Amino acid sequence: MNSQLPILLFLVPFVTAVAMPILCARRRSWCRPLTTGAVSVMVVLAIMNLRVVVSDGPIEYALGGWTAPIGIAWLDDPLAAIMALTMSAVSLLTLIYGRVAVTSKHDRSIQYHTLILLFVAALIGIVFAADLFNVFVFLEVAALTGYALVGAGGGKALVYAFRYLLLGSFGATLYLLGVSYLYAATGTLNMTDLATRMPELITSTAVVGGLIFVFLGLSIKMALIPLHGWLPGAYANAPNAIAPLLASTVTKVALVAWVRIEYSLIEPGIEVSHIPVLVLLEDIGVLAAVIGGALALVQTDIKRIFAYGGIGHIGLILVGVSLGNSTALAGGLFYLINDAVMQAMLFMIAGAVLHYHGATTLDDLKGISVRSPWITGALVVVAVSMVGLPPTGGFFGKWNIVLGALEAQHYLAVFAVLASTLLTLGYFLRLFSCWFHQPVTIQSERLEIAVSLRLSLGIAAVAMFALGIMSDSIVRVLLESLANGGV
Amino acid sequence: MIQAHDSVIVRTLGRIVIPVAQLFGIYVLVFGQHGPGGGFVGGVILAASMILAILIFGRDAPDSWLVPKVLHGDGLGLLIFVGVGGLCLIGGGQFLNYSHLEIPGLDDASRHYVGILMTQFGVAADVAVTGVSIAVSLSADDEDEEATHG
Repeated sequence: MNSQLPILLFLVPFVTAVAMPILCARRRSWCRPLTTGAVSVMVVLAIMNLRVVVSDGPIEYALGGWTAPIGIAWLDDPLAAIMALTMSAVSLLTLIYGRVAVTSKHDRSIQYHTLILLFVAALIGIVFAADLFNVFVFLEVAALTGYALVGAGGGKALVYAFRYLLLGSFGATLYLLGVSYLYAATGTLNMTDLATRMPELITSTAVVGGLIFVFLGLSIKMALIPLHGWLPGAYANAPNAIAPLLASTVTKVALVAWVRIEYSLIEPGIEVSHIPVLVLLEDIGVLAAVIGGALALVQTDIKRIFAYGGIGHIGLILVGVSLGNSTALAGGLFYLINDAVMQAMLFMIAGAVLHYHGATTLDDLKGISVRSPWITGALVVVAVSMVGLPPTGGFFGKWNIVLGALEAQHYLAVFAVLASTLLTLGYFLRLFSCWFHQPVTIQSERLEIAVSLRLSLGIAAVAMFALGIMSDSIVRVLLESLANGGV
Repeated sequence: MIQAHDSVIVRTLGRIVIPVAQLFGIYVLVFGQHGPGGGFVGGVILAASMILAILIFGRDAPDSWLVPKVLHGDGLGLLIFVGVGGLCLIGGGQFLNYSHLEIPGLDDASRHYVGILMTQFGVAADVAVTGVSIAVSLSADDEDEEATHG
């Protein structure tokens, strides 16, 4: 049973998604409980899986009984187990939240919930895949369902969904092109196998070209500046219930896929035509972190502020994972987990503000603090974590990245973390100045906010502090895994 | 919306060709064990035969009785596929490891044979349904046009 956990994690949402049109054809009201139930089972399985992996070490899962170079293998190591738990927990959170926020005039709940479950299944697939082509397949499943979910509300969102589709497909094409280069040069797609053949081939043009294409393709998926064009529009116009789910998963999971490739294929300190590869990646991350924060500072639309904030954080995580030492790598990955929760929470808040107050821009926010104490409390908590104050998880992630940067003596990375922190503080101050502004005509009666919304915001806020408190053990698990040669 | 074809020649030929095509589709599906063919190709041929039926007789004609039923079955093929894989899981092996497909009275080779054949049936069913539903949705009037804009 224990050794089958990875595939069960994938099959639970997948089978439920496929069976949904049959099970719910007569009773549409079953869709939501069924979806929530399936994702809850996933969370339980992910916790069990994490326990097994931490105590017994990584599992290599050979699908169909065919082992690695010949068959398709899944790798269930601490990174995958932690990410699987993060992804399923965040999905559950956004599903609880989506109870009130979904606004649809006609009933398409079967299609909607099927897409959500397929999306979640694809995330699990990306996390476990240990094979470049398998990553591509699941990336595409996640992307295709993502496009449909962004456009699920109809209207203007369709334009942004189409734009996302064009750019996302372009990214997927680049990724596949890169994979085919790597396959041509090395004759294998399995990451462990690639890693053994890579050192002597890293200077070959085909391999370098392949890696560049893979990185470019994944940078579109992870919305790394300057390839972030699809993200703000898509997230700002996606349905309220969908934006948190996508914002907290899509870009992070693409980054996780890149971390696997980067960690197993690019050795620290390696140079291609006198360019140190990791330092180049780190500089790209620095740029993305600073520019993303700066762009967030000049937005007036709330969802766009959060979207650019998330783009900046992707840069920050890329800095962490590219510094070439395990402290920074563990810090970056830990920050990634935090960022998933923070993005979910930010977009839940933005959605709730839109749903209850009809507010989309900063000016609409005036006086909200009096009327919605729950949303205000959640915003303060998430702001504390975004800026990176202890005892929230955001602080420990940034702290480890800074420690790693100092260890590697890359002061530019330290600057990036500090600049990103200050910029985050800047746009939150802007937000707060409107949020806590007292209008002349005070409507002081409080709004009744649905229980599910309070619940999801509450859980997310607790999770922020819980991640901060557990940061030590999570980082230690990641460090141990790195010391044993895995990611 | 596709109208039924009124030519006698087309209708009569359709009556002859469609069953043959379906038989051929099933043959290709089963023959996939021994040569070129298999679930995907068999499914495409089955889908083509049903699309032909829609084109000739119209979607709602009694002669195309299979079509509306088939459209409800999307996902059934995948469930067959996952079901076979799940039986292997229950048997103690990995997903789709046919050696662990617990069917009493079968040796290892026959387990592989039965397992692959059943998954291919699943694949064929899904490909066929997807093909038909693409054809139907391309030809259908946009039913929720008003619902979307109204």
